[in-house]
Amino acid sequence: MVKMLVPYPDKCTGCRFCEMVCSLYHEGKVNHADARLQVHRRDIKTDFPAVCTHCVSCGDECCVLNCPVEAIKNEDGIVRVEESECTACGTCVEVCPFGVMRMEEVAFKCDLCGGDPTCVKFCPMGAIKFEEPKPEQYELVKKLLEEEE
Amino acid sequence: MKGYAGRILKIDLTTGRSSIKTIDERYARKYLGGQGFTVELVYHGVPKGADALSPENVLAMAPGMFAGFPIQTGGKTAFAAKSPATNTLAESVMGGSIGAELRHAGFDALEIHGRSDKPAYIFIEDDKVEVNEADDIWGKDTRVTPETLKKRHGWDVKVACIGVAGEKLVRMACIDCDDRQSGRAGLGAVMGSKNLKAIVVRGTKDLEPADPGALLEIALRYQKIMEAAPSFVEDTKYGTGEFLGWINKEKGVFPTRNWQESVFKEREQVDPYYWATRYVTKNKACFSCTKPCGKLFEVKDGKFAGVVIDGLEYETLYSLGGTCGNSRIESVARANEVCDLVGIDTISAGVTIGFAMELVQRGILTEQEVGMKLTWDNAEDAVPKMCELMGNREGFGDVLADGVKRAAERIGKGSARYAIHTKGLEPPAYDVRGMKGHGLAYMTSTRGACHLRAGFYAPELVGKFWRWEGIDRFSTEGKGAMVATMENFMCVYDSIGLCKFSRGFFLIDKLREVIRAITELEFTEDELLRAGERIHNMKGNFNALHGVTRKDWLLPPRILEDPIPDGPSKGSKISVEEMNKMLDDYMAFRKWDHEGVPSPEKLRELDIA
Repeated sequence: MVKMLVPYPDKCTGCRFCEMVCSLYHEGKVNHADARLQVHRRDIKTDFPAVCTHCVSCGDECCVLNCPVEAIKNEDGIVRVEESECTACGTCVEVCPFGVMRMEEVAFKCDLCGGDPTCVKFCPMGAIKFEEPKPEQYELVKKLLEEEE
Repeated sequence: MKGYAGRILKIDLTTGRSSIKTIDERYARKYLGGQGFTVELVYHGVPKGADALSPENVLAMAPGMFAGFPIQTGGKTAFAAKSPATNTLAESVMGGSIGAELRHAGFDALEIHGRSDKPAYIFIEDDKVEVNEADDIWGKDTRVTPETLKKRHGWDVKVACIGVAGEKLVRMACIDCDDRQSGRAGLGAVMGSKNLKAIVVRGTKDLEPADPGALLEIALRYQKIMEAAPSFVEDTKYGTGEFLGWINKEKGVFPTRNWQESVFKEREQVDPYYWATRYVTKNKACFSCTKPCGKLFEVKDGKFAGVVIDGLEYETLYSLGGTCGNSRIESVARANEVCDLVGIDTISAGVTIGFAMELVQRGILTEQEVGMKLTWDNAEDAVPKMCELMGNREGFGDVLADGVKRAAERIGKGSARYAIHTKGLEPPAYDVRGMKGHGLAYMTSTRGACHLRAGFYAPELVGKFWRWEGIDRFSTEGKGAMVATMENFMCVYDSIGLCKFSRGFFLIDKLREVIRAITELEFTEDELLRAGERIHNMKGNFNALHGVTRKDWLLPPRILEDPIPDGPSKGSKISVEEMNKMLDDYMAFRKWDHEGVPSPEKLRELDIA
C-alpha cells in the first residue's frame, strides 16, 4: 500500500510549523496560502491539520473526477497536476473537500515531497503521520471542516 | 532588505487616518525587530509625562525578526506602551500569531496613536486598513470576541483583543491572541483607553528569506536538537510548571501565602506531576513552536465542571495557587479561566489577592469590607470569585483591580508593609530572598518585577549559564554585571522573537546563522549584544525621563526585613546594604548614575537620540 499523510486532530497543537516548512520547501518562501496542507486553529479546543488524501477519502468531490480537462491524474495512488494541461479554471479548488488544492498560475497540491514529507519531520506530536491511509481519520477532519461552513 | 517587510503602519484612532513609513537596513540593525521596534516607537512617540491612559500614549505591536519564518519557538509578537501600572516603558511578548500575520500583510510593526470616540476595532487585510465600529463586541470576553470577528472576516484572520477588564481600564489588563497573552504591566488598559477592542489582521503576502535552503537546513537541525533535549519530554508532558516541585522542595523559593512562606507544603495538587495525567486533554503550542508547553486543561465534573483553559503555567500555579494558599487545582484552573476571559494578568491578579488575604489574616481588612470570606482556608472559592470582581471592577474588586501598590494606597492602615512589588508591578514566582541576583533583576527590570527581562532565575538556580560557572544564589558578588549582561541578551531574544525557553540551545553565537539565512544581515556577537544594550538603555532613559527612578526600584519591606522562615533557603533575605551594593554595581556597569539615569556618554555611544 502507498503511504499517505494521515491527520490526527487530537495530537495537533496548532503551531502551524508544518504549513511554514511546506511552503518553504516547495516555494523557497513562506506563505500559509501556498502550503499544501492547512492547519485550522479555530478555538481553544480545536486545532487540526487538513491534508491531501490522494483520492482515498474524497468520494465524488474528487479533483481527479471533476477536472474538466482531465489535467489531474491519479498515477499508482499519487495524485498530481499535469501543469501543461491545467487551464486554471479553479474547479478543483472548489470541490476539494479538505481545502488543500491550491491555485496560482496553475493548480498545485501535495506531492508528498517525493516520498519523504517535510511536514512530518517537524511534527514530533504525530498529528501528521506518513503511513498507510486511514479513512476514519480523514472523516474526522471532514466533520471538523463542515463545522466551519 | 530580505526577511523584513520594510514598512511600519501608523494608525491614528482620533482621526481614523493611517500612514506608512519605510524602514531601512540601518533601522533593522539598530533595533532588530519585535521588542526593539516597539520600544523605538514608544520611546520616540510618547511625550514626556504623558498619562499612560491618555490619547498621547502609543501602543506598538511588532513581530520578532524571525516571526513568520519556520524557526522553532521563534514566532513571538511584542506589544509595548507606557504602562498604566508602572508609568514605565513596558513591553510584553506573547506566543500569538498576530505579529507574523502582520508581516504577511506587509508590515514589520504597527503603531497606534490617539483615541477613538467610540468603541472600535482595527481591521488590516494586506494594504486595506479600516477602523470599524465595535459596539457588538464591546463588553464581550476574549473567546466570544475573536469568534465573532472570525465569523465576520473569515477563519483565517488573526485577532488580538481585550476583555472587559481592558475596557474598564483595569491596570493589570492583558491583550489576548490565540489564547496567549501579553499579560504584564496593563497593556490591555492602554487598548481600552483608546476605545480599541481588537486588532484583526489578515496577510497573504509571501515572506522571502535570504537563503531558503539554509533556513530549512537550520530548522531541521534544531528540530533534532530540541527533540533530543530532556526538557522536550518534560515540558511536553507537564508544561512550564515541570520544575515546580524542585523549586519548592529542593530550593525552597516558591512564594506562598503572600510570601510569608517559601515552601508550599500543600502543593500536591498544584504540581503538574499530579494534574497533567488527570486533567489535560490535549497539548497546545504557541505559534511556530514544535514543543507544546501549553496544556488544554478541562474539568469534567464537580463544582468546577466546565472549566476549559489553555494553561496552568508555572507562574499561574504560584499566583493563583501558592501565594493565595490555594491548594485545589480545579480552583486554580477556574481562576485562570476567569482571568483569561475578563482579560487580566494572572500574576498580578493572584499576587494582589494574596496581599488582600494577608490583610484579612492580620485584621487590617474585615470580611465586611471585602464582601466575602477572603481567607486562606476559603481560598478555593474566594480566589476565582475575586478575579471576576477585579476584572469587572465590582465591589472590593475595584480596590484590588489596579494592583498591590495602588490598593495599599487606598486601604492605608500600614498595608503597604505587605505589598510585594517593584515599580508597582507584582513579582513572579521566585522568592528572591533566596536568589539575590534575581532580586536585583526584579529591581532593574524596566517594566517592574519580572523574571523574563533578565531571565536570571535559571543561571542562579542551576548555578551555571553561558559565560558563568559556580554562581552562588545567596551571594551578591558580581551580580550587577551578570544581570545587566543577561538583560542585554534577553532584549536581543525579545527583538528576534525567540522564546526564552530556547536560551539554553540558541545561545547568541548560534543566532547569527539564522539571522543571515533570513535577512542576509551579518552581525557579530558584540553587535547583537550592543543592539540589546541599546534597547535596554532606551527603556531606562524613558523611565528616568518619566520620573521613575531608584526610589521606585527598591525591593519591598518583606524581602528586606523578613528572612525566609523555613525550608532549604531558611534564614535568607536581601539586606538593605546588599540591595544597595548590587544596585551600585549594576549602575556602574551600565554607566548609569546613582538614580538610574543613563549617562549622556552612554546614550551617545549607543546612538540614542
